[in-house]
Order: sequence, then C-alpha cells, then structure tokens
Amino acid sequence: MIVPARQFGTLIGLLALGIVLWILTPHFMTVSNLLNVAEQTSINAIVAVGMTFVILSGGIDLSVGSIVALSGVVLGTLLQAGHSMATALPLALAVGLLCGLGNGALVSWGGLPPFIVTLGTMSIARGAALLFTEGRPVSGFDPSFRMLATGRAGFVPAPVIETTMVYAAAHFVLSRTTFGRYVYAIGGNEEATRLSGVSVRFHKTMVYGVSGLMSAVAAVILTARLNSAQPIAGMMYELDAIAATVIGGTSLMGGDGTLAGTLVGALIMGVLRNGLNLLGVSSFLQQIVIGAVIVVAVLIDTVLKRKNRT
Amino acid sequence: MTAAPPVLEMRGIRKAFPGVVALDGVDLTLAAGAVHMLLGENGAGKSTLMKILSGAYAKDAGDIRINGRAVEIRGPRDALALGIRVIYQELNLVPHLSVAENIFLGAAPVRWGGVVDWRALYDRTSHLLTDLGLALDPRALVSRLGLAQRQMVEIAKALTGSSAKGSADKPAAVLVMDEPTSSLTSREVTQLFALIERLAARGVAIVYITHRLDEVFRIGHSITVMRDGRVVATRPIQDVTVPELVRMMANRDLTDHFPKVRVERGAELLRVENVSRGPLSGITFSLHAGEVLGIAGLLGAGRTELARVVAGADRCGHGRLTVRGREVRFRDPADAIAHGIGLLPEDRKAQGLVPGLTVARNIALPHGRRLAWLGMLSRHCETTLANPIAADLRVKATATQTVRQLSGGNQQKVVLGKWLAGDVGIFIFDEPTRGVDVGAKVEIYQLMNRLTARGAGIIMISSELPELLGMSDRILVMYRGRLQAEIAATEATEERVLSAALGLAS
Repeated sequence: MIVPARQFGTLIGLLALGIVLWILTPHFMTVSNLLNVAEQTSINAIVAVGMTFVILSGGIDLSVGSIVALSGVVLGTLLQAGHSMATALPLALAVGLLCGLGNGALVSWGGLPPFIVTLGTMSIARGAALLFTEGRPVSGFDPSFRMLATGRAGFVPAPVIETTMVYAAAHFVLSRTTFGRYVYAIGGNEEATRLSGVSVRFHKTMVYGVSGLMSAVAAVILTARLNSAQPIAGMMYELDAIAATVIGGTSLMGGDGTLAGTLVGALIMGVLRNGLNLLGVSSFLQQIVIGAVIVVAVLIDTVLKRKNRT
Repeated sequence: MTAAPPVLEMRGIRKAFPGVVALDGVDLTLAAGAVHMLLGENGAGKSTLMKILSGAYAKDAGDIRINGRAVEIRGPRDALALGIRVIYQELNLVPHLSVAENIFLGAAPVRWGGVVDWRALYDRTSHLLTDLGLALDPRALVSRLGLAQRQMVEIAKALTGSSAKGSADKPAAVLVMDEPTSSLTSREVTQLFALIERLAARGVAIVYITHRLDEVFRIGHSITVMRDGRVVATRPIQDVTVPELVRMMANRDLTDHFPKVRVERGAELLRVENVSRGPLSGITFSLHAGEVLGIAGLLGAGRTELARVVAGADRCGHGRLTVRGREVRFRDPADAIAHGIGLLPEDRKAQGLVPGLTVARNIALPHGRRLAWLGMLSRHCETTLANPIAADLRVKATATQTVRQLSGGNQQKVVLGKWLAGDVGIFIFDEPTRGVDVGAKVEIYQLMNRLTARGAGIIMISSELPELLGMSDRILVMYRGRLQAEIAATEATEERVLSAALGLAS
C-alpha cells in the first residue's frame, strides 16, 4: 500500500516530536511511558475515527463528547443495577448509535447544517446524561468489566488492543466497502454522487451513526478505566477529535484524508500532552502549546497542498 | 453628421482562452443616445466582448477609445471611472436593504463621524428616481419589489456610479444590458423600454444584448450580429429584416466534419408525455433505439431542466414517463439508472465527477452495488471494471491520478465511462463536447455512433448548431419551456433550427 506523502509528513512530525522529548527528558522514551501514552490516547483516537468519517463526508460532529457521557451513564447504571455485560454493552452502544443516526437523519432528510444539528445534540445528550443520573456519577463496577481498560495482553494494555481493532475494522470499511467509497465520494462531490445513483441521504445518515457508535465505544473504555460513569465526562472531546483528524491531514472540506493520518494526529496530541507533563509545564501553558500545534500543523498542510496544486 | 467622435469605439478586439479564440478582431462603435442591439448565438462572443469592456477580462489585442481618446481598461474600477456600466442578468442587489440603501451602497451620504445622513440619502434617491421617471419608494425594501422594479433599481444604481466608492466616477456614458427582459412580463418590458428610451434621449449610449428579435425592432437604433468571435454585420435597424438577421446569425462554413453513422430506428425506448415542471410546460416526445435526438434551444429554454427530469435528478411534476413500454416514476437518480438511463450532466465538474478520486473509482461509482459482495469490494474489482472502459475511451491518465488533474476532454470521457459499464440504454448528453478539444470531440461523436449501433438511444442537448445538425437524427427545438418545433435531420438547416429557438414559427 502506498502511504500518501502528506500522511508521511505527519508521521515525520510525530517522530520529530518524540526525538525532541527524548532529548529533553529521559523518562519519555521508556516502554512503560510509551504504553502509557498509547493508553491515554486510545479514547481520543477512537472518537476521532467517527469524526474522520463525518469530516470525510463533508460534515462535522460536535456532539461526540456528550454522546460519550450519555452512553457511559447508561452503561454504568445498567451494570450497577446488576445487568450482565452481555446486556449492558450492546445497549450502551445502541444509545450512541441511535444518537448518531438521529444526527444523520436530521442532516440528510431534514436538510439542516451538521454544525447546528450536532450542536443541538451536544446539549440534548449532555442534559439527558445529567437528568438520567441526577447529576451524580455512577461508580464501582465488577472487576471483569474493568478488565476492558485495566487488562493486559502480555505487556500491552487492553485499550491499545481495542483501539487497534477499531482502527483495523474502520480502515477496512473505509477502503474496502461501498460505504467507505461513498463517504469519500459524498465529501468530494455530493451532487455528482447523487447523480451516480448513490443514496446520499442513507449513507450520510450512516456516517453520523458510525460517529455515535465510536463515541459509545470510547465511553465503554473510559467508564472501565475510571471505574465510574460521569454525566460530565467527555467535555471538549469533540475538539480533541477534530484536532486529531485535521492534524492527520483530513480536509475539513471533505473527500480527502485517511484514518492512518488521524491515528498519527491523535498520537501527536497524546505525545505532546505526555511530554509537557513530564517536563512539568503548567496545564495552563499546555493549552496554549497544544492550540499552537494544531494551527501550525494545519498551516503546514495547507501550504504544502497549495504548492502541490500549482 | 458632424465631427463629434463616438462615445465608444472598440477596434480589433482579440481574446483567446486556452483552446478557443473567443474574439477575433471585433469592432464595435457606439454613438451617444443610440440603442445598439448586440445579437448572436450562445458562444458567439457577446459576453466576452462586454466583459472586456467592463474590465472583467483583459483583452489580448485591440484598442478602446472613449470620446475619441484611447483608454486602457485594467479592471472594473477603470471601467466605472470611464462611465461604463454593466447590468448583468443576475441582479446584484441586497434584498434586505431599502431601495435608497441599495442605490447608494457603499457611497451613502454621511455626516461627520461616518453616521449615515438618512434624510439626504432618501432625498437624493427620490430626486434621482423622479428624474428617471420611476415611481419607486426610496424606503421600500428591495425584497418586496417585483423583478422589473428590481431591475429599475439596478439601473438607477448603475447610473449613479456609486457601485464602488468612487464618487469621482463619471456619470454613466455607456450602459450595457445583458438580456434584461429574460424574466419580465410584457407589461414590465414596456416599462423598461420606456426607461431605456428616456436614457437614450439624454445621451447615454446603450448596448442591449438579446435573443428576442421582436425587441430588436422595438427599441433598437442599430444592430451588430456576432458569430464565432467575429462581427458578421453592423447596420442601422431600418436596413435589416428578420429573415436576414436569422441568416446572419446562423450562416457559417460547415467545414466541421461529423462522422455520423445512421442506424435504422428501432423500438421506442422512452416516451415523455405532457411533462411540466418549473419552466417546462407540456413537453411530449419519444426516443427510439438507434436514434440520436438532438435538443436545441437558447440558454434558459428549459433543456437542462428537461434532462434532469428524465434522468430522475429532479422529480417530474406533472406528466408521464414511459420506459420501454412501462410507466415509471423516478424519486431519485438511482431509480432512473435502474431503468437504464444515464445522464452526462451539463457541468461535469460540479455534477459529473468526484475530483479527488481516481479514474477507476469515478467510473465505478454508479456500479458499487453490483461490484460488491455484502457491501464489500474486492481489491481489484473497480480497476477490473474501469480499466477496459478507460482504455477503450483512450483516457490519458495513470492509475493513481485523480480526475482533478486531467484535461477537460479526458474528464468528459470519464463521465461518459461511468455509463458504459452498466446496462444503460438511454443516454442523456447535456452539452457533451463543451470545453473539450477537437480530437476528443470526434472521439465522443464516434462513441455516440457505437452506442446507437448497439441499440441505445441518445438525447443530445447542445448549444452548437453544427453539432446538432451533424449528429442528430431528429431535432427538437425548445423555446421558453415548450417544444417549439420538431425537425427531421434531413430537413434541418441552421436557419430553421435557429428561427424556432428564437420563438419564430418554424
């Protein structure tokens, strides 16, 4: 498989960042720290998978963080009420999927702008999560459930394995199914795709469904890791996911980008946070640095693209 | 005749675009107070000439003189400063502002501190409107006005020269109007003509672009006919007749070669009965196997709207579609494709292609469901499907190139290729050779021959008369949403087709 030059560039950025941190702090380049970074990145990386689908199709999804919270509290409440994982997990995933399909239906059939629809859902899902739990976290779960986040296969943490599986599946969908092809085609030229006989409305609805489902998957891992489901979980996740996607080279105009890029984008965000923590940079300053990195990454990308065009 | 120089003199204007010479030594002279009609088929070069005058395009060669003085027009600002005003078909008004605010947009009278002097604004506007003999309320919102009234506002705005901040601009000396009556009722047209006459009476030179011959004789003083980027004739209006005008617009050397192969007409593939939707009214025709049905008409005659209804891109309002003897109702293009109808849309970049995908993926796009197994695509299924088609069409592209990087002709072949892979038997080609180089044009004509030979039917919409005459078996002519005439290829001449397209009885 050919790796597009642009994703390659992002990868070089990640490696350069790693080398700089390696020089600045000896703790960075240790197996345990790198696994730690990978584990911490997993939640954002999974949410960003859904975001990549949506952005590739030419849309945006601001509701992912709230859907993480809502799916999480549904999961937590069910588990605490004594339901088995076999019941609770599918129901939690269904909640996320349905929220996403609702977004998609309003965008496709309602003809509303994705920004507005998902802004509304962001508030609705958050409110529902708070209402459902009366604002209180749901804590204390069976160790077998917590294994989803704390377990290890050899020395590899479970979330890293789960993230890998999600990426493998999503990559297959994007590159080897008609649905994946239509996601790119719709983002690239919606009218031409419609005139080619593709049901644009159906596939756009599914795109938001994927995003909702990915948020629910992230909610499962988050709940297991914190041993607690919180209605205020997932705040600002939409911004991290959008950042990972665009740092990874996906065009906000739609139709152009890869999941490999998004994974690298999410890792850059994770490595940066981790490195800044190791260096003892204040969390206030960290926000400034991360914001600057997002802007600079996209700026480089834009400049390179402009050069390639002419 | 005295020695007063003409208001505007354009001499030997030349303009080439990649692959086409749009203007080849055009002369145009305007006298003060004259209404000069500019005629010509689509693509004759009228709009290009006016865009050079208004500074939207730079000319390659030629001189422009205003009142006898040579000038250089480097951009729209220069044109405004010289007193040249253009009113385009699409109006440029802000609907939620008042008449007065629109007329003085960006140039409203202000008191110190930049506060708009509303009283002065309304006073000046009502003064201006009275002066022009227009009964409009300066405070009325433009969104509340009818089309004709909006047009009047646009004219008033153009005459004040306030469209840019240049209060130093000269008052309007030359006013260009591009088909100003295309969406007006006959009463509104009368109002507009009265205004044009008043303007001419006070010495404004007017260029009036139109396709309507009746208008030419109603308000024109003189006329220039253009064809293929040249001026065919410039005459005083009393020296021309209608048949003469049609002949001047149409007549050309039929040097273009069309490789038309006639095929015996087969069974009826498609019947369209009484279709009305938007501008379309009561369209009835049928398409047979082995036939190329040409559709002629001017811009806005409803040709593309008709194509979109037949291809399921827009829902059919009233009327009936029958495909191979069975009545159909299309909810979306997928339904039409399922019935074997493929559309080559008018605007290939906006409607035909996904620019960021490869040739193979574009060609395979309509065939996803057929190629896939449980929604999954095998690794090479798209290239297996598309490569023979691309090779057959001689698309020049590598496997990894996106269609964005291809030339117009190659892009058009890719759009064609999308419909060659399936069971499409009814092809709708909307301007199939627009923006395509000569070599690719001939290849597209040859492809049409191959399709009709294997029993397909083709509806070909085109603005190029030679192409319609050269490739069609029958020609339908549309005029203002209706079928004006049906002409068999053997009896078709450019003059007959053009007369019908201009709304004259055929």
